[in-house]
Amino acid sequence: MKRTLPQTASILVLALASALAVAGDAANGFLPVEGGDFRSSVRYEEATRQTRVASFSLMARPVSNGEFAGFVARQPQWRRDRIPAVFASPGYLGHWATADAPGAAVDADAPVVHVNWYAADAYCREQQARLPRFVEWEYAAAADATRRDARGDPRWRMRQVNDGTPHAMDAAADAPANAYGIQGLHGAYWEWSEDYASLLSDGDRRGQQDGDSLRYCGATALAFNDPGDYGVVKRFVLLSALQPGATLGNLGFRCARSTP
Amino acid sequence: MKRMSFFLSATLALAGSLHAQSLPGESVYHLQATTQDAGGRPLAWSSLHGQPRVVSMFYTNCHLMCPLIIENAKSVQKQLTPRERAKLGMVMVSLDPVRDTPDALQEVARRHRVPAGWQFLAPAGNDVRAIASVLDVRYRFRDDGSINHTSVLVLLDADGRIRARSEVTGAAADPAFLIQIKALLAGP
Repeated sequence: MKRTLPQTASILVLALASALAVAGDAANGFLPVEGGDFRSSVRYEEATRQTRVASFSLMARPVSNGEFAGFVARQPQWRRDRIPAVFASPGYLGHWATADAPGAAVDADAPVVHVNWYAADAYCREQQARLPRFVEWEYAAAADATRRDARGDPRWRMRQVNDGTPHAMDAAADAPANAYGIQGLHGAYWEWSEDYASLLSDGDRRGQQDGDSLRYCGATALAFNDPGDYGVVKRFVLLSALQPGATLGNLGFRCARSTP
Repeated sequence: MKRMSFFLSATLALAGSLHAQSLPGESVYHLQATTQDAGGRPLAWSSLHGQPRVVSMFYTNCHLMCPLIIENAKSVQKQLTPRERAKLGMVMVSLDPVRDTPDALQEVARRHRVPAGWQFLAPAGNDVRAIASVLDVRYRFRDDGSINHTSVLVLLDADGRIRARSEVTGAAADPAFLIQIKALLAGP
């Protein structure tokens, strides 16, 4: 668990420098998350034991409307009026004033929502990054402001009931960053994961190797190590029910990078 | 540096939009993904357009469902006329490109006595999920290295629109899927 400060700082500087080189945006850097053994609250059929999470880095906050507008300008095939139907649903960037800009009525610094998985994936590729895996999100989100794993604290956990709503614990502008310096993991917005379409768990599979019954999201509630981890349970159920082209008014994303 | 990467992405975007103009919006070939075939040659996902195809996803270390997927696809092909067979491409895409090297792909083709002309493709590692997404294939790696995945044959028309799907539950072809293939191949 121990790391020296200079090492952390140099990783941070490197991450910031590469983010700068790509997007010219220093504000949303990638922060290192040191890996470790982790007991996910989700029970996959083979695993009740600990999962090893490799070190990775994660954006300090979700991608904003302003950042996404920059991406759409650089790669106009992701404009709402140009995106091919195979990737899109009618709501894609529907809250923006125009096809290339959020407009004055939308906060440029607020997380971009109404984005589908394909667009989120493309944005992260442009940052030489990827979407985080669900377990990586869960691992980073287990931290509160001072502890890397605060999940044993019932008071902290109770506050997650409001995840994905304007009353979420990280929704306030002055909400503290977590122990990694990362913000908004329990905010007003949910976030895509790379493996949204793989959140198969035992309760969903009925004898076959296909994941079809996954779509019935009620069944997923059966397959958690810790059904009381409400914030995680809610996200898992939501993401596993989504099609990749789907968009929601409270679903955004942030990017991650594997640690080489 | 910044300027160069901007120029590069602008060029890529332009190439992408030129390509996109010739495809219908629903085409899965809008996806800019790269693959490698069993001969080790690079093959752009979008270059599969131009011919109707049956596409499925599998991995070579899979001993239960994947042999059934291949046998089922062979059974589909067997029930076509020689003329129909010549018109329809058969493509197996790996979910596990790290282990599915060209050698491994060739070996699985040999083991299953797959007819000549089938394509076995391993996507670039970060393109697997996107290809699976446009085909509506869900998968997850288990701790033991096996993969839970949707077992399905997908019928694509020449432009890359999904025309039919057949969930694989055994080695025999699904009659309804065959009817849809024959109808597509009978078209212009």
